[in-house]
Amino acid sequence: MRDTEDMEADAEFEEGEEPSFSDPEDFEDDTSDQELLEDILKERPQEADGIDSVIVVDNVPEVGPERLEKLKNVVHKIFSKFGKITNEFYPEEEGKTKGYIFLEYSSPAHALEAVKNADGYKLDKQHTFRVNVFTDFDKYMTISDEWETPEKQPFKDFGNLRHWMEEPDCHDQYSVIFEAGERTGIFSNDAKEAIIVEERARWTETYVRWSPKGTYLATFHQRGIALWGGEKFKQIQRFSHQGVQLIDFSPCERYVVTFSPLMDTKEDPQAIIIWDVLTGQKKRGFHCESSAHWPIFKWSHDGKFFARMTQDTLSIYEVPSMGLLDKKSLKITGIKDFSWSPGDNVIAFWVPEDKDIPGRVTLMQLPSRQEIRVRNLFNVVDCKLHWQKNGDYLCVKVDRTPKGTQGLVTNFEIFRMREKQVPVDVVEMKEGIIAFAWEPNGSKFAVLHGESPRINASFYHVKNNGKIELIKMFDKQQANSIFWSPQGQFLVLAGLRSMNGALAFVDTSDCTMMNIVEHYMASDVEWDPTGRFLVTSVSWWSHKVDNAFWLWTFQGRLLQKNNKDRFCQLLWRPRPITLLDPEQTKLIKKDLKKYSKIFEQKDRLSQSKASKELVDKRHTMMEDYHKYRELAMQMHQEQRPLRLDLRGGVDTDELDSNVDDWEEETIEFFINEEIIPIGDLA
Amino acid sequence: MRPILLQGHERSVTQIKYNREGDLLFSVAKDTVVNVWYSVNGERLGTYNGHTGAVWCVDVDWDTKNVLTGSADNSCRLWDCETGKQLALLKTSSAVRTCGFDFSGNIIMFSTDKQMGYQCFLNYFDLRDPQQIEDNQPYMTLPCSESKITSAVWGPLGEFVIAGHENGEINQFSAKSGEVLKTAKEHTKQINDMQSSVDLTMVISASKDNTAKLFDATSLDHIKTFKTERPVNSAAISPIMDHVVMGGGQEAMEVTTTSTRIGKFEARFFHAAFEDEFGRIKGHFGPINCVAFHPDGKSYSSGGEDGYTRIHYFDPHYFEFEFEG
Repeated sequence: MRDTEDMEADAEFEEGEEPSFSDPEDFEDDTSDQELLEDILKERPQEADGIDSVIVVDNVPEVGPERLEKLKNVVHKIFSKFGKITNEFYPEEEGKTKGYIFLEYSSPAHALEAVKNADGYKLDKQHTFRVNVFTDFDKYMTISDEWETPEKQPFKDFGNLRHWMEEPDCHDQYSVIFEAGERTGIFSNDAKEAIIVEERARWTETYVRWSPKGTYLATFHQRGIALWGGEKFKQIQRFSHQGVQLIDFSPCERYVVTFSPLMDTKEDPQAIIIWDVLTGQKKRGFHCESSAHWPIFKWSHDGKFFARMTQDTLSIYEVPSMGLLDKKSLKITGIKDFSWSPGDNVIAFWVPEDKDIPGRVTLMQLPSRQEIRVRNLFNVVDCKLHWQKNGDYLCVKVDRTPKGTQGLVTNFEIFRMREKQVPVDVVEMKEGIIAFAWEPNGSKFAVLHGESPRINASFYHVKNNGKIELIKMFDKQQANSIFWSPQGQFLVLAGLRSMNGALAFVDTSDCTMMNIVEHYMASDVEWDPTGRFLVTSVSWWSHKVDNAFWLWTFQGRLLQKNNKDRFCQLLWRPRPITLLDPEQTKLIKKDLKKYSKIFEQKDRLSQSKASKELVDKRHTMMEDYHKYRELAMQMHQEQRPLRLDLRGGVDTDELDSNVDDWEEETIEFFINEEIIPIGDLA
Repeated sequence: MRPILLQGHERSVTQIKYNREGDLLFSVAKDTVVNVWYSVNGERLGTYNGHTGAVWCVDVDWDTKNVLTGSADNSCRLWDCETGKQLALLKTSSAVRTCGFDFSGNIIMFSTDKQMGYQCFLNYFDLRDPQQIEDNQPYMTLPCSESKITSAVWGPLGEFVIAGHENGEINQFSAKSGEVLKTAKEHTKQINDMQSSVDLTMVISASKDNTAKLFDATSLDHIKTFKTERPVNSAAISPIMDHVVMGGGQEAMEVTTTSTRIGKFEARFFHAAFEDEFGRIKGHFGPINCVAFHPDGKSYSSGGEDGYTRIHYFDPHYFEFEFEG
């Protein structure tokens, strides 16, 4: 046996002894678990995980032990749809369940699904589940008890947003973009000349839009849109949406919808955003595959609903929740197009033929979803829906290829919305349709049909007795668009762009052509909101010269020609709906003669005042010019000797100064040509 | 009276000029041809043959003895008006854009284009010194370094030349010292044409900036502006009425191929004092390149891109027209 001292001294192994593999006594292991067991550690249950997967369900029936098993089964059946339930806890008190339970899933994602879908689940009449993630309780409980009053925002007074309506001479406003977009101006429409109200450089980066009731002017910028209004067109609101291209307002002006192709991500839909105009808040975002048919979301006339169509689906949302009506979309296989009635909460949509099932047009009442009318369409190729402005009529333009033929036949199916059971009348059209338009507020419609150069304009009246009468047809028209006056009765048939701006003004009360005029290369036509004036314009965006907008009366009499350097766009400011009730309107119409007299007098006064101003101005200009000419002639006279000298004494100041120098010449004039065949001379 | 149509050119007419008495009308064009016509009936008198490139300008002296033309064939030529004989050929290093006789008919000026490395020059020759012509040595030649001269006319007494430039400036160049006597910076784009009133007291400038402007010839004071929506190619002052006539057109690139406006290019008449347009005369098939009033003010002519020159005699209605006020 050796002494320990001996062992320490030995540096070498001795024969037969095993070397020691133990760590030295003061060794500290600094290799972490992470390095050694990384893959295993990943699966280590974490405290946080557990809590994130737990949901709390409230309003669970309070049951005794005899019904507990059944309750657990029902709950399990409902909640296992969202994922694997790994744990459940039914707290009890005095022999009964407390009315709330805890369920744990295998992952937090399942818990979230459960919350999303089961919250609000109606178990029975007295019990509607409320589901929350457990961690939310924590979150809400740790809210500070200290209430800090939010900082008071100073009141931004934008003044009277309807200020322009108070203009004493009832001049409507319109926006003009010119200098290729560099300048935007707002003008007041006086029949004699455009009066500038506000003009700014770079007010918008692309174009502008008015809100439907005329309260706001929306401008476009790289970072979003801005709304301007009030007397001085101050900035009222701003919406940040990078790369915004298109916008749409709800009819009540409460919401604005913006579209940008840039912003969409899978998790966070940002292509289409709906904003609350008054608060500036973002209400909801949506995906959007293509903006080809803008607006993607179509609003009901009262602004209560908005809807969009996707593959086989019609999704209807309600305000202010921005959620789906009845929490689900409508499945409509093959839906091709839809549109809201402008007068009621009714949607019209159509689906094409599907094997044995014929195509059909359906009218659906909302929010009840009741189908108030269905109309079958046989061999249909395409449909277009045209509503009359008040929703009194719907015209469905149906293109069909009848069985056994190759050609396309077009019918107009007119739905009479105000009559019981919505009867439908059919008008057959023999030629291809170029344009169709309902009379606003009326029961007439105009159609352009045929093929260039033989284009015809037909006017129809939808009568009360069930008949649709062709009132008149004008043939050989140079027109590709129809523009009705917003008040009805009058319209303009226009041949825009390639048809060189031919314009025909028609009074449809007796279908007479009031005036046929031309605005060469006109690209756009805009009626003012009252139907008194019409603007035709040549936009720089479609034609690079002669950019101007012309003002006409509703009868086709030219009032003004306004040339604007690189003029792009003119838009009338819409008017809000009248505040007068039908009784008051009737009264004013009755007294129209009296008002006419007053207005005529006013016009005559201002006319003569303008004439007088012009006369005075011209008088001054003439006087000044003649004064200048006198001085110039004086100097000219003084220089006479110099002139005579330069021309060797020959006086050339007047054409007849040198009569001696004149020569007489005989000149022949070509008068007439007569061809006489030689035979006749004999 | 129906307009007289002069068909003597196969390419666009670049300038037309009446002689002092108005019985002759000269027309030059891109087809190298120089024509002279009787203005009373449109009968062609003859041509001056020699140029081998587009002829840009023409002038005739007060006595209707000599004719001066400038061309893209890098020459300015002097001709005998009656016989058509070429009297002198002054070779230049670049195209001759504008030319003219002074009041006395003794001194000629012409400007050359900024081309092929050569600057724009304004050259003065005295015809009383045949040596200058023989040696092709102008007595004065002024370089125009900034903006080339696009059109020019003589002042009322031959003391200076009033030149319009590519940048819209108008300068008076002394014919003795060559210095710039006065400048007017009213136009914003190229000056296409400069013309004097028949008594030489005023000049009118036609510009690409869609306006024509009236100036006093001696002081270069800007007196009036006439606005249109198209570039103005040429403008002229009526000898007897307070009227000016303007002709213009659109950039060749902007004429659409689907344009069906036949015969709708118009000469436009403005009141000189009110600056308002009061009439238009249609007829050309293309933009109007030059306009000129007959010295008696009873007719006017226009030369167009279509190669035609039209002479219009005014009907009595024109002389009676008055604005309200």
